[in-house]
Amino acid sequence: MSDQATQSPAGAETPMVEMRGVNKWFGDFHVLRDIDLEVRRGERIVICGPSGSGKSTLIRCINHLEEHQQGEIAVGGVPLTQDVKRIEQIRRNVGMVFQHFNLFPHLTVLENCCLSPMWVQKRPRREAEAQAMQYLERVQIAEQALKYPGQLSGGQQQRVAIARSLCMHPEVMLFDEPTSALDPEMIKEVLDVMVELAREGMTMLCVTHEMGFAKTVADRVIFMDQGQIIEENAPEPFFNDPQSERTQLFLSQILGH
Amino acid sequence: MTIREKMIEARPAPGLSIGPLAWLRANLFSGPVNSVFTLLGLYLLYVLLTPTIQWAFINADWIGTSRDDCSREGACWVFVNARLTQFIYGLYPRDELWRVNLVFASFAVLIAWLAIPRLPFKRWIAVVTLLVFPVVAYVLLYGGYFGLRLVETHRWGGLMLTLILAVVGMVAALPIGILLALGRRSEMPIVKSFSVVFIEFWRGVPLITILFMASVMLPLFLPTGVSVDRLVRALIGITLFQSAYMAEVIRGGLQAIPRGQEEAAAALGMGYWQRMGLIVLPQALKMMIPGIVNTFISLFKDTTLVMIIGLFDLLGIVQAALSDSRWLGFALEGYVFAAFMFWIFCFSMSRYSQYLEKKLHTGHKK
Repeated sequence: MSDQATQSPAGAETPMVEMRGVNKWFGDFHVLRDIDLEVRRGERIVICGPSGSGKSTLIRCINHLEEHQQGEIAVGGVPLTQDVKRIEQIRRNVGMVFQHFNLFPHLTVLENCCLSPMWVQKRPRREAEAQAMQYLERVQIAEQALKYPGQLSGGQQQRVAIARSLCMHPEVMLFDEPTSALDPEMIKEVLDVMVELAREGMTMLCVTHEMGFAKTVADRVIFMDQGQIIEENAPEPFFNDPQSERTQLFLSQILGH
Repeated sequence: MTIREKMIEARPAPGLSIGPLAWLRANLFSGPVNSVFTLLGLYLLYVLLTPTIQWAFINADWIGTSRDDCSREGACWVFVNARLTQFIYGLYPRDELWRVNLVFASFAVLIAWLAIPRLPFKRWIAVVTLLVFPVVAYVLLYGGYFGLRLVETHRWGGLMLTLILAVVGMVAALPIGILLALGRRSEMPIVKSFSVVFIEFWRGVPLITILFMASVMLPLFLPTGVSVDRLVRALIGITLFQSAYMAEVIRGGLQAIPRGQEEAAAALGMGYWQRMGLIVLPQALKMMIPGIVNTFISLFKDTTLVMIIGLFDLLGIVQAALSDSRWLGFALEGYVFAAFMFWIFCFSMSRYSQYLEKKLHTGHKK
C-alpha cells in the first residue's frame, strides 16, 4: 500500500473519497464530529448547511488544507497521513476551486494554468500551454489567456480557476462555495461550466447554496449542521420530503423567502 | 415615473478644468491664502538658491593644481579635482587603476543589461552577475593570480570601497534576509527560534558596535596566527546586520499575501519551496520593493561607518584629505562633493525602484 503510483489503485469499487470517523477541532471548537462519508467514482455530491456548520472544513480536510485530528481519510484508496510526499501526491489528484478564486495575480491567465503542470508534473512548456488553451477553450475564456486575473470579472476569474485545476487532470474536484463571491449575473456562467463538468463524469464535491444546481446534477445532497451530517439523500426526496426538522427549517429559509 | 428614451452621449469636460492654466489655478492659486504661500515659497527659493548657485557654479574655480588657483569667492573645486583619483580609488596603485575601472565598467554593463527590459538572455546574465562576476572581480581587484600584482585591501578606498561594501552587502543580505523571513514564519520550532534570535540580536545592536566587535573582538577569539582581512570582517558584519533588517521588511511583505494564495498553490500539488518561490515570494517582494530599496539606501549610507575601523570609504578619504596641510580650509567643498556622490547613487536607486514598481504592477490591488 505504501508505494502506490500517483494514480489510485485500480478497481472501480474503491471509493474515490472515504472518510471514517473524522473529527476535527479548531482550538476547543469541535468543527467536525464523527464524519462518515463515501464518495464513489463519478458521483456528484452537494453539501449544504448554515454557515459555520463545518462544510468547508470537511472538504478542505480531503486535500489536507485542514488537518483532522481523529479518524481516517483516503482518496482513491490512498490513506491521507502526515507524510508530506503523500499529501502532495493526493493533492495532485484532487482539484480545488475556492470561493475567492485565489488566482495568482502576478501571472497571466495562461501562466496560472501552466505553472503547476510545468513545475509539479514536469511537463514541457509547449505541451502545458497547449493543454491549458484547450481547457480555457472549454470554459470559454481562451481569448483572455494573456490577461492578468485583475483584468477579469469575478465570473471569468472563477472559470479560469476551474480550468487551472483541470489542467492537473484531477480525479476529484472540490468546490468550496464557488459562486458565493460572485455578482448575481455571473453565477450562471460558472454554474454552466460546473454542470458541463458533471455531465462528463467528474467526481465532484460541491459546497454550495445553489439548490438549482443541486437538483440538476447532484447524485446525493448532504445537509450539515454543527459539524455533523444531519441528512443525506438523493436530491428529489431531499428537497421534496426532508426528514429532519433542521433540514426542513434550513430549506424553508433558503427556498422559502 | 420616468423613462429615458435616448441615452446621453459623453461630453468633453468644460474648458477651464484641464490644461496647464487650470493646473496652476487649482494647485498654486486656488485661493488668497494659497496664492500668498505660493509667492512666499517662490521668494524663499530665490533667496536660498541664488547664493548657492553663485557659490557652486558662477564664482567657483574649476581648473588649477593648487590652492593658489582659487579666488576664494566661490567654491574651490580645484581641491576635489586634484584629489579625484584618490577619492575614487583610495590608495590603489596608480598604474593598476585599469583593473578597478574594468571591474566597475563590466559591473555597470551587467546591471544595465539586467535593468533594461528589452535585452535578451536575462537569466544567463543574472547567473554571470551573481556567480562569475564576483570571482572575476575578486581576482582583478585583489590580484595575486595570473601575474596580477597583489593589492592588499588596506590600499582600497574611496568610492570604490563604498561601492564594494554596498554591493556585496546588498547582494548577500537579500537572500539571507529571505531565508530568515521564511524561517521566522516556519512551523518548525528550531528553525523559527533560530531566526527570531538571529534577527532580534543583529537588529538590536548598532552597526558601529558590530563593526567594532568585528575589528577588535573577533581577533581575540581566533586562534593566533589566523587572521581575517579587515575588509572581510567589515563585510560580514554589514551583511549580517542588513540581513536582519531585510528579513523584517520581507516578513512584512509575506504577511500581506492572502493565505488563499498559498492554499491554492498547495491544492495544485506544489511543495513548500515551489509555493514560496513561485507564488508567495514574487508577490511579496514586488510589494516590498519600496521597503527593500529603502534598506539598500540606508545600507549604502551606513557604509560610511567603516571609517571607525580604519577603512577609508568615500567619506573617510574625503575627510582624510581635508587634513592635508596644502589644502586646509576646503571642508565645505569636500563634504558637498561626498554628499553629491552619495546622493547620485541613492537617487538612482530610488528612481529605478519606482520604475520597477510601475512595471511589475499587474492590475491587482488597487
